[in-house]
Amino acid sequence: MSSKYARPELSAEEQKALERIYQDLLLLASSEVPSVSAAARAALAQVATALNGQGLKYELYSTNWT
Amino acid sequence: MAWLDLPRGYWNPVSETMPRERLRERQFEKLKVQLDHAYAGSRLWRERMDGAGCPPDTIRSLADFSERFPILTREEIITAEAVDPPYGTLPSVDPRLAVRHHQTSGTSGAQPVRTFDTARDWAWAADMWATGAYAMGVRPGDTALVAFGYGLFIGFWGLQYGLEKIGCRVIPTGSFDSEKRVRLLIEQECQVLACTPTYALRLALTAEEMGVDLAQSAVKVVIASGEPRPEATKHKIEAAFGAFCGDTAGMTEAATIFMFECAEEPGGCHVIETDYLEEVIDPETLQPCDYGQRGVRLMTSLGREGIQVFRYWSNDLVTKRPHSDCGCGRTWDLYEGGIQGRHDDMRKIRGVWFMPSMVEDVVRKFPEIDEFQCQLVNIEALDTLVVQIEPKPAVREKDYEPLRQRFAAEVKRQLSLTPRVELAAVGTLPRFEMKAKRFQDLTAAPEAVKK
Repeated sequence: MSSKYARPELSAEEQKALERIYQDLLLLASSEVPSVSAAARAALAQVATALNGQGLKYELYSTNWT
Repeated sequence: MAWLDLPRGYWNPVSETMPRERLRERQFEKLKVQLDHAYAGSRLWRERMDGAGCPPDTIRSLADFSERFPILTREEIITAEAVDPPYGTLPSVDPRLAVRHHQTSGTSGAQPVRTFDTARDWAWAADMWATGAYAMGVRPGDTALVAFGYGLFIGFWGLQYGLEKIGCRVIPTGSFDSEKRVRLLIEQECQVLACTPTYALRLALTAEEMGVDLAQSAVKVVIASGEPRPEATKHKIEAAFGAFCGDTAGMTEAATIFMFECAEEPGGCHVIETDYLEEVIDPETLQPCDYGQRGVRLMTSLGREGIQVFRYWSNDLVTKRPHSDCGCGRTWDLYEGGIQGRHDDMRKIRGVWFMPSMVEDVVRKFPEIDEFQCQLVNIEALDTLVVQIEPKPAVREKDYEPLRQRFAAEVKRQLSLTPRVELAAVGTLPRFEMKAKRFQDLTAAPEAVKK
């Protein structure tokens, strides 16, 4: 794909790490420790956005917690 | 110009330069996720899909979706919310998952549209703003002044978070007046200013009155949003600030922006197509418009999980152009000139199509004019455009009449309409911080109102 500006991409290792972190945060988002689940949900929102921006996993996940 | 040196680049290189074929596949993948989620979680959407005979598993393609899925109007959202306020049957998730609430002002007399965002939705909304700001040349380490009221109206709330995400130092100036904002802009050596186009001009005038030359300030980018912005207004802002004025637009129903102008200045705004499915249709026939044909945009958000909108009638008039018309390398199509006007503001005056933004385009070419208002009035059985112009304080009284005549001649030349131009006393016309309202159609109003 030709593009005018620099077009950095994730390495395979970075991509795996991003996807792994998402899964880990999803797990921690249901923690019974309030501060941990809150931190995980906040971080999860950011990581989900990064995955979306990279054309990777796309999920509407918050109903997991109701 | 100074802004030619702005840094260029992509916030999300993969999404922004995705080949068109892959982009369409990605849109459809996300649309399916969105439709399934809406069907499972929202009473409104389940009833609409069942009623129209198009539940999610029957939607075969993007074209199939555009052909069969019903159009949603603002009135339908308001009706759905009225069932069980504040959000009624619209939400697709439990509103207790929300981390923020916003609503429209309701100033046009209608009930406000109320929305909420989950933490996931709000992170996405901020990312959309970051996408636009980064494309304009905003970078980590920049200082940004946001001139916005920070209330229930969503306005620049998302930009605040988007700028923080980029790594900017953000100065929220909610309750500040224009003089204080100008002082802060200079003292803090802000590189970025965010406000409506109208308010950028107001700040420029205030600075002029204070003896401050904003063109010599550190400002490199003015992020303008909230109103249609004619080219003449953009050029006037760029001259006043010595900065690039980038256009964006969003709406409360979307939670964030859906388009932005990149630093290449292609004469329009890129649609964030990985996160929105945007259709342009003829408002009379409801058939799709080709590139270059003006129509109303229908918005389908591929971003949110709480409040979802599919084929939403925006009332915005736009003209789509291919992405290849811009040299930035993004594969996202453009809206020529951004939002060109509102369909409900469009009028035919004596056989000539008219939009209020056309008058603004003329006004901004007259540096002597400070503010304006226009009305459509029926005079002796003829629809007539009445424009009130307010000269700047520095204009001498003996120059008022020649100014009035020159302005009337220019309106006639550009719009092919003969207006009635009236002079307003200095400081008498309304000023605006958000959503300037400068047009009234009095042709349907009772006589008492017209007077």
